[in-house]
Amino acid sequence: MFDICKEARYNRGMISEEKLSLLTESAKYDVSCSSSGSGRKNEGGIGNGYASGCCHSFTPDGRCISLLKILLSNDCVFDCKYCVNRCSADAPRATATPEEICELTMDFYKRNYIEGLFLSSAVHRSPDHTMEQLLLTVKKLRTEYRFFGYIHVKAIPYADERLVNETARYADRMSYNVELPSEKSLKLLAPQKSKASVLLPISKLAREKEIFRAENRKGKFLPAGQTTQMIVGASPEPDGQILRLSQRLYRGAGLKRVYYSSYVPVVRDPLLPDVPGGALREHRLYQADWLLRFYGFSAEEIVEDDGNLSLELDPKCAWALRNMHLFPVEVNRAPLELLLRVPGIGARSAYKILEARQYASLDFVHLKKMRVVLKRARHFITANGKFYGAKSDAAVRGLLTAGERAQNAEQLSLFAAENAAAALTGEL
Amino acid sequence: MIYFYDGTKEAFLTAFLLAWGDREAVFASQNAQLSLGQTCTFVRTDAAAAKRAEQRFLSFDKESMRDLGTMLRSGDANRDAVALAYFRLLAEKKRPVRGMLADDAVRAADECMRRVGLEIHRFHGFLRFMESASGALYAPFSPDNDICDLVAPHFRARLGGYPFVIHDVKRKKAAVCDGKTIFVAPLERAEVALSADETEWQSLWKTYYASVNIPSRERLKQMRGYMPVRYWKHLTEFR
Ligand code: SF4
Repeated sequence: MFDICKEARYNRGMISEEKLSLLTESAKYDVSCSSSGSGRKNEGGIGNGYASGCCHSFTPDGRCISLLKILLSNDCVFDCKYCVNRCSADAPRATATPEEICELTMDFYKRNYIEGLFLSSAVHRSPDHTMEQLLLTVKKLRTEYRFFGYIHVKAIPYADERLVNETARYADRMSYNVELPSEKSLKLLAPQKSKASVLLPISKLAREKEIFRAENRKGKFLPAGQTTQMIVGASPEPDGQILRLSQRLYRGAGLKRVYYSSYVPVVRDPLLPDVPGGALREHRLYQADWLLRFYGFSAEEIVEDDGNLSLELDPKCAWALRNMHLFPVEVNRAPLELLLRVPGIGARSAYKILEARQYASLDFVHLKKMRVVLKRARHFITANGKFYGAKSDAAVRGLLTAGERAQNAEQLSLFAAENAAAALTGEL
Repeated sequence: MIYFYDGTKEAFLTAFLLAWGDREAVFASQNAQLSLGQTCTFVRTDAAAAKRAEQRFLSFDKESMRDLGTMLRSGDANRDAVALAYFRLLAEKKRPVRGMLADDAVRAADECMRRVGLEIHRFHGFLRFMESASGALYAPFSPDNDICDLVAPHFRARLGGYPFVIHDVKRKKAAVCDGKTIFVAPLERAEVALSADETEWQSLWKTYYASVNIPSRERLKQMRGYMPVRYWKHLTEFR
């Protein structure tokens, strides 16, 4: 029974507090903390996947801690203008050994502090060297430490694809950062990166996964797929362009998630804005992204090519107001796809309605008791033929805008923390 | 009539049969307030009768006994009334009723079970183990619902061969796992001799917790919503 305990007690190195601080300090801006999507089994070691994801703690900024987010190194040879780790910055540097990362992961995991590891790195010495170290670390964790918990590895641009593909055999999820939504902005702000250096490897990795699956090979290859992250507000691209890129990534490369991170000015540079990207815009992008993934909307329906999302109204309300001819819909008859398009009715409510209306014809009292939020929805539905919404489109717009203003302060960034609770509140 | 029963499934089912026809029936298994003029009876479990009732309910709804089990774990003061109303409806309809969300009894039962399920899920994340000198892991907690043995299987699967103890300090009981089997035992207090580097790992965790926070974006209300303050006492990062 105690064999595993001894085995895991390599004690080759407990990381120092100082190094831990340095290597986690800048990893924290990585938005993704999701641990969902992997059903990996414990094969005689420690750890397994938790398909729905699991939050282990919350920090005072309201974000969930699920994974140990850490950099292998913050010592970068690249010079991205917006980054604290860029080579031209005068900052304390640290690099961890694979053993230090393994020990830390095992001991945190065993105590149930974390759901797994999110391992990233600055480009230390060279892309290939960095990727090699990342591979070495996850391989060690899986094979020597027999760790079967969740692992997300950030892929390094320009690293040899053989290294990347081998890493994918051990990781549950990998991600290349798209960083900036256009080639022009990349050139300007991240001179060593290009659209080709990020978008191409994303599709390559997706293809590799297809092949792996088609050939029915043994083992696993990124069971939780790929994700990516974009910085919003450091460069001038409009929301329309950003959402079309996301849509392409979802449809074309099968990405699981696109994360948007509102630009935080930690670095001063004449090429960069002095003001942060704005939490409200980030919030709106997450809402729109939600519509793309779960509500059957296309980017084109949500916002024009060169347009921005309304800050006043959430994207579903804005869409409904542009399409008033489709409403009101009768909750006892409307198909699921249409119910999902009603402002205020989220996925949970829509399914509840589908279920309950098989047994009884629903009126507003029923809906209220079922905790369907009617504040916005009442303008767009009838229940048993009754309508309780405002009389004119203009009045609806006025009421929605006013309600939204009151709510905004509360709601901000509910979407940033990905966890079960947020999935429930992600109702628009 | 008030029916006192011991909170087990069998006693509930026995009481259910006894109270059949008594529309005024009140079920109580926790501390109940007696109001003047009400008579009460203490239900003694009748295993054979309970088995019969169980078979009937299972023939109406395959999941009914699992649901009953979940409701009886609830720490909610209303749970006996909620379970009674739900099972009366099930007995009346003679088919699964869980989809009838426009019905008060169904919604109350659904809510009650959802809260138990949610708390189990939460503690899969919020439980904190410390390592003892022997290598066994020990986690104290104080959940709203009686769930220590329902939380344990997740950790058995996850922790491989590690022996562990999950201690409900409020109910003074623990789920104990020797690496393979889980059993529940009464446990008043536990003296745990910590392993040599336990405190150091704890302090590394606190360092990590502090360093991933973005102070300029403080949202305490949201934080407390996700992680209620009553759980903090046993979380390493707050101790
Ligand atoms: S490559 Fe990454 S770590 Fe290096 S400067 Fe660019 S963003 Fe920062």
